Amino acid sequence: MTNNNERTKMPDTLTHDESLDTSGFLCPLPVYQAGQVLIRLAPGQVLRLVTTDRGSLQDIPALARQRGDELLAVEDHGATQLFWIRKNA
Amino acid sequence: MRVFSFLEHTMTTLFEPPILKTDPQVRRFEDVRQLLPDVEQPTPIVRLGRLAAARELYLKLEWLNPFGSIKDRTAAYMLSELLPEMEGRRLIEASSGNTALALAALANLEDIPVTVTIPDGAPIEKRVLLRMLGAEVLETPDDLCPVDLPADGAIALARAIAGSRGGEAYAWTDQYSNRANVRAHYETTGPEVWRQTQGQVRAFVAGFGTCGTISGVGRFLKEQDPSIRIVAVEPNPGHRLPGLKSFAEAKQPEILDQSVIDQVVRIDDETAYSTTLSLFRQEGLMVGPSTGAIVAASLALDDPGLTVAISPDSGFKYASYFAQFLDDQQQRKDEDARHPHP
Repeated sequence: MTNNNERTKMPDTLTHDESLDTSGFLCPLPVYQAGQVLIRLAPGQVLRLVTTDRGSLQDIPALARQRGDELLAVEDHGATQLFWIRKNA
Repeated sequence: MRVFSFLEHTMTTLFEPPILKTDPQVRRFEDVRQLLPDVEQPTPIVRLGRLAAARELYLKLEWLNPFGSIKDRTAAYMLSELLPEMEGRRLIEASSGNTALALAALANLEDIPVTVTIPDGAPIEKRVLLRMLGAEVLETPDDLCPVDLPADGAIALARAIAGSRGGEAYAWTDQYSNRANVRAHYETTGPEVWRQTQGQVRAFVAGFGTCGTISGVGRFLKEQDPSIRIVAVEPNPGHRLPGLKSFAEAKQPEILDQSVIDQVVRIDDETAYSTTLSLFRQEGLMVGPSTGAIVAASLALDDPGLTVAISPDSGFKYASYFAQFLDDQQQRKDEDARHPHP
Protein backbone atom coordinates (compact mmCIF):
# COMPACT_ATOMS: atom_id res chain seq x y z
CA MET A 1 0.00 0.00 0.00
CA THR A 2 1.21 3.48 -0.80
CA ASN A 3 -0.46 6.42 0.85
CA ASN A 4 -1.74 9.25 -1.27
CA ASN A 5 0.63 11.81 0.15
CA GLU A 6 2.06 13.99 -2.61
CA ARG A 7 5.54 13.02 -1.40
CA THR A 8 5.01 9.45 -2.57
CA LYS A 9 5.31 10.58 -6.16
CA MET A 10 8.88 11.58 -5.60
CA PRO A 11 10.88 8.45 -4.56
CA ASP A 12 11.45 7.19 -8.12
CA THR A 13 13.41 10.30 -8.83
CA LEU A 14 15.16 10.50 -5.46
CA THR A 15 18.74 9.52 -4.85
CA HIS A 16 20.29 9.03 -1.45
CA ASP A 17 23.75 9.22 0.05
CA GLU A 18 23.27 6.63 2.78
CA SER A 19 20.74 3.91 3.46
CA LEU A 20 19.72 2.53 6.86
CA ASP A 21 17.59 -0.59 7.27
CA THR A 22 16.05 -0.87 10.73
CA SER A 23 13.73 -3.77 9.90
CA GLY A 24 12.80 -5.67 13.05
CA PHE A 25 13.75 -2.80 15.32
CA LEU A 26 11.13 -1.40 17.70
CA CYS A 27 10.57 2.30 18.14
CA PRO A 28 12.46 4.41 19.22
CA LEU A 29 15.49 2.43 18.00
CA PRO A 30 14.96 3.52 14.35
CA VAL A 31 14.69 7.14 15.55
CA TYR A 32 17.91 6.79 17.55
CA GLN A 33 19.83 5.13 14.72
CA ALA A 34 18.51 7.57 12.09
CA GLY A 35 19.53 10.45 14.36
CA GLN A 36 23.05 9.02 14.67
CA VAL A 37 23.40 8.73 10.87
CA LEU A 38 22.02 12.23 10.29
CA ILE A 39 24.58 13.66 12.72
CA ARG A 40 27.30 12.04 10.60
CA LEU A 41 25.97 13.14 7.18
CA ALA A 42 27.05 16.37 5.57
CA PRO A 43 24.44 19.12 5.19
CA GLY A 44 22.30 18.52 2.11
CA GLN A 45 22.95 14.76 2.00
CA VAL A 46 19.97 12.38 1.94
CA LEU A 47 19.28 9.37 4.18
CA ARG A 48 16.99 6.59 2.94
CA LEU A 49 15.50 4.85 5.97
CA VAL A 50 13.62 1.54 6.10
CA THR A 51 11.47 0.76 9.15
CA THR A 52 8.99 -1.93 10.12
CA ASP A 53 7.59 -0.35 13.31
CA ARG A 54 4.49 1.62 12.32
CA GLY A 55 5.18 4.10 15.12
CA SER A 56 7.89 5.40 12.80
CA LEU A 57 5.20 7.01 10.64
CA GLN A 58 4.78 9.54 13.43
CA ASP A 59 8.22 9.44 15.03
CA ILE A 60 10.39 9.97 11.94
CA PRO A 61 8.53 13.09 10.72
CA ALA A 62 8.71 14.42 14.29
CA LEU A 63 12.47 13.69 14.37
CA ALA A 64 12.96 15.59 11.11
CA ARG A 65 10.94 18.53 12.45
CA GLN A 66 12.90 18.57 15.72
CA ARG A 67 16.24 18.51 13.93
CA GLY A 68 15.21 20.96 11.22
CA ASP A 69 15.80 18.35 8.49
CA GLU A 70 13.63 18.04 5.40
CA LEU A 71 11.44 14.95 5.04
CA LEU A 72 11.47 14.56 1.28
CA ALA A 73 9.22 11.53 0.96
CA VAL A 74 7.41 8.77 2.84
CA GLU A 75 6.20 5.43 1.49
CA ASP A 76 3.95 3.27 3.62
CA HIS A 77 3.81 -0.34 2.40
CA GLY A 78 2.02 -1.64 5.46
CA ALA A 79 4.71 -3.94 6.83
CA THR A 80 7.52 -1.64 5.72
CA GLN A 81 7.92 2.11 5.68
CA LEU A 82 10.44 4.10 3.65
CA PHE A 83 11.63 7.62 4.43
CA TRP A 84 13.91 10.01 2.57
CA ILE A 85 15.38 12.71 4.82
CA ARG A 86 17.65 15.52 3.66
CA LYS A 87 19.97 16.82 6.36
CA ASN A 88 19.49 20.50 7.05
CA ALA A 89 21.88 22.73 5.17
CA MET B 1 70.33 -15.10 66.14
CA ARG B 2 68.77 -16.42 62.95
CA VAL B 3 67.16 -19.30 64.94
CA PHE B 4 65.81 -16.87 67.50
CA SER B 5 64.24 -14.72 64.81
CA PHE B 6 62.65 -17.74 63.24
CA LEU B 7 61.25 -18.88 66.60
CA GLU B 8 60.07 -15.41 67.42
CA HIS B 9 58.29 -15.17 64.08
CA THR B 10 56.72 -18.59 64.52
CA MET B 11 55.48 -17.83 68.02
CA THR B 12 54.09 -14.48 66.95
CA THR B 13 52.28 -16.05 64.04
CA LEU B 14 50.91 -18.84 66.20
CA PHE B 15 49.62 -16.67 69.01
CA GLU B 16 48.46 -13.61 67.07
CA PRO B 17 44.70 -13.58 66.79
CA PRO B 18 43.80 -14.48 63.20
CA ILE B 19 42.53 -11.62 61.03
CA LEU B 20 39.33 -12.69 59.38
CA LYS B 21 39.47 -11.84 55.72
CA THR B 22 36.17 -10.01 55.85
CA ASP B 23 36.32 -8.80 59.42
CA PRO B 24 34.42 -5.49 59.45
CA GLN B 25 36.34 -4.44 62.56
CA VAL B 26 39.67 -4.35 60.74
CA ARG B 27 38.12 -3.33 57.41
CA ARG B 28 40.18 -5.82 55.45
CA PHE B 29 38.52 -7.30 52.37
CA GLU B 30 39.57 -9.64 49.60
CA ASP B 31 37.09 -8.40 46.98
CA VAL B 32 35.34 -5.06 46.49
CA ARG B 33 31.96 -6.84 46.55
CA GLN B 34 32.51 -7.63 50.21
CA LEU B 35 32.06 -3.90 50.82
CA LEU B 36 28.43 -4.07 49.77
CA PRO B 37 26.27 -3.14 52.76
CA ASP B 38 23.97 -5.23 54.89
CA VAL B 39 22.57 -5.02 58.37
CA GLU B 40 25.92 -6.13 59.86
CA GLN B 41 27.85 -3.62 57.75
CA PRO B 42 25.45 -0.69 57.25
CA THR B 43 26.14 2.63 55.60
CA PRO B 44 26.38 5.24 58.38
CA ILE B 45 23.66 7.61 59.51
CA VAL B 46 24.86 11.08 60.53
CA ARG B 47 22.86 13.68 62.45
CA LEU B 48 22.39 17.11 60.88
CA GLY B 49 23.29 18.92 64.07
CA ARG B 50 23.68 22.39 62.60
CA LEU B 51 21.23 22.54 59.73
CA ALA B 52 18.47 20.95 61.83
CA ALA B 53 19.69 21.54 65.38
CA ALA B 54 16.25 21.33 66.94
CA ARG B 55 15.41 18.03 65.25
CA GLU B 56 16.61 14.48 65.30
CA LEU B 57 17.27 14.33 61.57
CA TYR B 58 19.81 11.78 60.35
CA LEU B 59 21.19 11.41 56.85
CA LYS B 60 22.04 7.91 55.63
CA LEU B 61 25.23 8.30 53.63
CA GLU B 62 24.81 5.97 50.68
CA TRP B 63 27.82 7.38 48.83
CA LEU B 64 29.93 5.26 51.17
CA ASN B 65 28.88 2.20 49.21
CA PRO B 66 31.74 0.75 47.13
CA PHE B 67 30.62 2.19 43.78
CA GLY B 68 29.44 5.47 45.23
CA SER B 69 25.67 5.38 45.55
CA ILE B 70 22.55 3.71 46.91
CA LYS B 71 22.23 1.97 43.54
CA ASP B 72 25.03 -0.43 44.50
CA ARG B 73 22.43 -2.38 46.45
CA THR B 74 20.00 -2.54 43.52
CA ALA B 75 22.69 -3.44 40.99
CA ALA B 76 24.08 -6.23 43.16
CA TYR B 77 20.65 -7.80 43.65
CA MET B 78 19.64 -7.50 39.99
CA LEU B 79 22.91 -8.87 38.65
CA SER B 80 22.93 -11.73 41.12
CA GLU B 81 19.50 -12.85 39.82
CA LEU B 82 20.55 -12.60 36.18
CA LEU B 83 23.94 -14.30 36.46
CA PRO B 84 22.72 -17.80 35.53
CA GLU B 85 21.32 -16.42 32.24
CA MET B 86 24.28 -14.24 31.24
CA GLU B 87 26.42 -16.68 29.22
CA GLY B 88 27.37 -14.91 25.98
CA ARG B 89 25.03 -11.95 26.60
CA ARG B 90 25.40 -8.24 27.35
CA LEU B 91 23.66 -6.41 30.16
CA ILE B 92 21.61 -3.40 29.13
CA GLU B 93 20.14 -0.80 31.48
CA ALA B 94 18.62 2.67 31.30
CA SER B 95 20.08 4.82 34.02
CA SER B 96 20.77 8.41 34.95
CA GLY B 97 24.19 7.06 35.93
CA ASN B 98 24.40 5.54 39.39
CA THR B 99 22.79 2.17 38.66
CA ALA B 100 24.82 1.92 35.48
CA LEU B 101 28.08 2.66 37.30
CA ALA B 102 27.43 -0.03 39.89
CA LEU B 103 26.26 -2.53 37.26
CA ALA B 104 29.26 -1.86 35.04
CA ALA B 105 31.70 -2.28 37.92
CA LEU B 106 30.04 -5.48 39.16
CA ALA B 107 29.64 -6.88 35.63
CA ASN B 108 33.33 -6.26 34.93
CA LEU B 109 34.13 -8.58 37.82
CA GLU B 110 32.13 -11.28 36.02
CA ASP B 111 33.53 -10.44 32.53
CA ILE B 112 30.07 -9.38 31.35
CA PRO B 113 29.89 -6.48 28.87
CA VAL B 114 27.43 -3.66 29.57
CA THR B 115 25.42 -1.23 27.42
CA VAL B 116 23.93 1.83 29.10
CA THR B 117 21.25 4.14 27.73
CA ILE B 118 21.57 7.44 29.55
CA PRO B 119 19.77 10.79 29.22
CA ASP B 120 22.00 13.18 27.29
CA GLY B 121 21.52 15.72 30.08
CA ALA B 122 23.20 13.46 32.64
CA PRO B 123 26.36 14.97 34.17
CA ILE B 124 29.51 14.61 32.09
CA GLU B 125 31.25 13.15 35.14
CA LYS B 126 28.97 10.10 35.15
CA ARG B 127 29.25 9.57 31.40
CA VAL B 128 33.05 9.68 31.62
CA LEU B 129 33.15 7.28 34.57
CA LEU B 130 30.99 4.82 32.62
CA ARG B 131 33.44 4.99 29.74
CA MET B 132 36.30 4.46 32.19
CA LEU B 133 34.54 1.27 33.27
CA GLY B 134 34.35 0.19 29.64
CA ALA B 135 30.57 0.41 29.25
CA GLU B 136 29.01 1.14 25.86
CA VAL B 137 27.20 4.44 26.49
CA LEU B 138 24.22 5.44 24.32
CA GLU B 139 23.21 9.00 25.11
CA THR B 140 19.59 9.84 24.32
CA PRO B 141 17.36 12.88 24.66
CA ASP B 142 14.44 12.36 27.04
CA ASP B 143 12.09 13.10 24.14
CA LEU B 144 13.77 10.57 21.85
CA CYS B 145 10.39 9.10 21.02
CA PRO B 146 8.80 12.41 20.04
CA VAL B 147 5.19 11.25 19.98
CA ASP B 148 5.29 8.71 22.81
CA LEU B 149 4.89 10.55 26.08
CA PRO B 150 5.80 10.41 28.92
CA ALA B 151 9.31 11.31 27.97
CA ASP B 152 11.71 8.58 29.11
CA GLY B 153 13.93 8.26 26.07
CA ALA B 154 16.65 6.23 27.77
CA ILE B 155 14.16 3.68 29.12
CA ALA B 156 12.37 3.46 25.76
CA LEU B 157 15.66 2.87 23.95
CA ALA B 158 16.78 0.12 26.35
CA ARG B 159 13.38 -1.56 25.99
CA ALA B 160 13.57 -1.29 22.20
CA ILE B 161 17.08 -2.75 21.99
CA ALA B 162 16.18 -5.67 24.26
CA GLY B 163 12.90 -6.28 22.40
CA SER B 164 14.10 -5.88 18.80
CA ARG B 165 15.66 -8.27 16.32
CA GLY B 166 18.90 -9.42 17.96
CA GLY B 167 17.60 -8.44 21.39
CA GLU B 168 18.16 -11.95 22.74
CA ALA B 169 21.85 -11.02 22.99
CA TYR B 170 20.89 -8.54 25.74
CA ALA B 171 19.69 -9.06 29.29
CA TRP B 172 17.73 -5.97 30.36
CA THR B 173 17.93 -5.47 34.12
CA ASP B 174 15.03 -2.96 33.95
CA GLN B 175 15.38 -1.42 37.40
CA TYR B 176 12.00 0.32 37.02
CA SER B 177 10.05 -2.94 37.06
CA ASN B 178 12.57 -5.36 38.57
CA ARG B 179 11.34 -6.66 41.95
CA ALA B 180 14.96 -7.30 42.97
CA ASN B 181 15.28 -3.52 43.22
CA VAL B 182 12.63 -3.41 45.95
CA ARG B 183 13.94 -6.55 47.61
CA ALA B 184 17.43 -5.03 47.90
CA HIS B 185 16.01 -2.27 50.09
CA TYR B 186 13.54 -4.47 51.93
CA GLU B 187 16.35 -6.83 52.93
CA THR B 188 19.21 -4.35 53.53
CA THR B 189 18.39 -0.61 53.73
CA GLY B 190 15.19 -1.06 55.75
CA PRO B 191 16.65 -3.38 58.39
CA GLU B 192 19.72 -1.13 58.63
CA VAL B 193 17.58 1.94 59.39
CA TRP B 194 15.55 0.00 61.95
CA ARG B 195 18.64 -1.31 63.72
CA GLN B 196 20.62 1.95 63.56
CA THR B 197 17.73 3.82 65.20
CA GLN B 198 17.05 0.96 67.65
CA GLY B 199 13.49 0.91 66.40
CA GLN B 200 12.95 4.56 67.31
CA VAL B 201 12.64 5.91 63.75
CA ARG B 202 9.43 7.93 63.30
CA ALA B 203 9.81 9.06 59.68
CA PHE B 204 11.72 7.96 56.60
CA VAL B 205 12.33 10.27 53.62
CA ALA B 206 13.51 9.24 50.14
CA GLY B 207 13.05 10.42 46.57
CA PHE B 208 10.79 9.23 43.78
CA GLY B 209 13.14 7.68 41.21
CA THR B 210 12.95 4.03 40.33
CA CYS B 211 11.02 3.84 43.64
CA GLY B 212 12.93 0.76 44.82
CA THR B 213 14.14 2.54 47.97
CA ILE B 214 10.84 4.08 49.05
CA SER B 215 8.90 0.88 48.29
CA GLY B 216 11.35 -1.55 49.89
CA VAL B 217 12.28 0.47 52.97
CA GLY B 218 8.70 1.71 53.33
CA ARG B 219 7.30 -1.81 53.35
CA PHE B 220 9.90 -3.05 55.84
CA LEU B 221 9.39 -0.16 58.27
CA LYS B 222 5.58 -0.33 58.03
CA GLU B 223 5.79 -4.01 58.95
CA GLN B 224 7.75 -3.09 62.09
CA ASP B 225 5.50 -0.17 63.02
CA PRO B 226 2.66 1.04 60.77
CA SER B 227 2.75 4.51 62.34
CA ILE B 228 6.19 5.32 60.89
CA ARG B 229 5.71 8.07 58.30
CA ILE B 230 7.04 7.29 54.84
CA VAL B 231 7.65 10.48 52.89
CA ALA B 232 8.45 10.63 49.17
CA VAL B 233 10.15 13.58 47.46
CA GLU B 234 9.16 14.60 43.94
CA PRO B 235 10.86 17.27 41.81
CA ASN B 236 9.09 19.63 39.44
CA PRO B 237 8.77 18.83 35.73
CA GLY B 238 11.87 19.85 33.79
CA HIS B 239 14.02 19.52 36.93
CA ARG B 240 17.79 19.09 37.02
CA LEU B 241 18.02 16.56 39.85
CA PRO B 242 19.47 13.33 38.41
CA GLY B 243 18.01 10.19 39.89
CA LEU B 244 14.70 11.81 40.83
CA LYS B 245 11.55 11.59 38.71
CA SER B 246 8.58 13.89 38.34
CA PHE B 247 5.56 11.78 37.51
CA ALA B 248 4.05 14.76 35.72
CA GLU B 249 6.53 13.95 32.93
CA ALA B 250 7.70 10.37 33.57
CA LYS B 251 5.81 7.12 33.85
CA GLN B 252 5.33 5.74 37.38
CA PRO B 253 7.55 2.67 37.79
CA GLU B 254 5.77 -0.66 38.10
CA ILE B 255 7.56 -1.37 41.37
CA LEU B 256 6.23 1.74 43.13
CA ASP B 257 4.16 0.64 46.13
CA GLN B 258 1.88 3.62 46.78
CA SER B 259 0.32 1.84 49.77
CA VAL B 260 3.37 2.49 51.96
CA ILE B 261 3.64 6.22 51.17
CA ASP B 262 1.99 8.64 53.59
CA GLN B 263 3.03 11.92 52.03
CA VAL B 264 4.63 13.39 48.91
CA VAL B 265 6.65 16.62 49.21
CA ARG B 266 7.46 18.55 46.04
CA ILE B 267 10.76 20.43 45.93
CA ASP B 268 11.93 22.84 43.25
CA ASP B 269 15.49 22.89 41.92
CA GLU B 270 16.45 26.17 43.57
CA THR B 271 15.49 24.86 47.02
CA ALA B 272 17.26 21.55 46.36
CA TYR B 273 20.52 23.18 45.25
CA SER B 274 20.44 25.79 48.04
CA THR B 275 19.98 23.02 50.60
CA THR B 276 22.82 21.07 48.99
CA LEU B 277 25.01 24.15 49.43
CA SER B 278 24.00 24.35 53.10
CA LEU B 279 24.90 20.68 53.59
CA PHE B 280 28.35 21.37 52.11
CA ARG B 281 28.97 24.53 54.13
CA GLN B 282 27.21 23.85 57.44
CA GLU B 283 27.55 20.11 57.84
CA GLY B 284 30.69 19.29 55.85
CA LEU B 285 28.64 16.82 53.83
CA MET B 286 29.55 16.93 50.13
CA VAL B 287 26.33 15.45 48.83
CA GLY B 288 24.68 15.30 45.43
CA PRO B 289 21.73 17.53 44.51
CA SER B 290 19.07 14.85 45.10
CA THR B 291 20.20 14.76 48.75
CA GLY B 292 19.55 18.50 48.89
CA ALA B 293 15.99 17.88 47.68
CA ILE B 294 15.44 15.08 50.23
CA VAL B 295 16.81 17.13 53.14
CA ALA B 296 14.75 20.16 52.08
CA ALA B 297 11.64 17.96 52.11
CA SER B 298 12.58 16.59 55.54
CA LEU B 299 12.91 20.12 56.91
CA ALA B 300 9.52 21.04 55.42
CA LEU B 301 7.75 18.40 57.55
CA ASP B 302 6.13 19.19 60.89
CA ASP B 303 8.77 17.64 63.13
CA PRO B 304 7.83 13.93 63.21
CA GLY B 305 10.58 12.95 65.66
CA LEU B 306 13.57 10.80 64.75
CA THR B 307 13.81 10.98 60.98
CA VAL B 308 16.12 9.17 58.59
CA ALA B 309 16.61 10.77 55.17
CA ILE B 310 18.46 9.10 52.34
CA SER B 311 21.54 10.67 50.79
CA PRO B 312 21.68 8.71 47.51
CA ASP B 313 25.16 9.82 46.46
CA SER B 314 27.95 12.35 46.90
CA GLY B 315 28.52 15.60 45.05
CA PHE B 316 31.67 14.53 43.25
CA LYS B 317 29.81 13.40 40.14
CA TYR B 318 27.99 16.74 39.84
CA ALA B 319 30.84 19.25 39.79
CA SER B 320 29.69 20.52 36.39
CA TYR B 321 26.12 21.04 37.67
CA PHE B 322 27.40 22.82 40.79
CA ALA B 323 29.61 25.08 38.66
CA GLN B 324 26.50 26.16 36.73
CA PHE B 325 24.54 26.68 39.98
CA LEU B 326 27.31 28.79 41.52
CA ASP B 327 27.69 30.85 38.33
CA ASP B 328 23.93 31.49 38.21
CA GLN B 329 23.92 32.42 41.88
CA GLN B 330 26.79 34.86 41.37
CA GLN B 331 25.05 36.34 38.35
CA ARG B 332 21.92 36.97 40.43
CA LYS B 333 24.01 38.61 43.15
CA ASP B 334 25.72 40.85 40.59
CA GLU B 335 22.35 41.73 39.09
CA ASP B 336 20.95 42.61 42.51
CA ALA B 337 24.02 44.77 43.23
CA ARG B 338 23.52 46.67 39.98
CA HIS B 339 19.79 47.10 40.51
CA PRO B 340 19.21 47.14 44.29
CA HIS B 341 15.62 46.59 45.37
CA PRO B 342 14.08 49.67 46.95
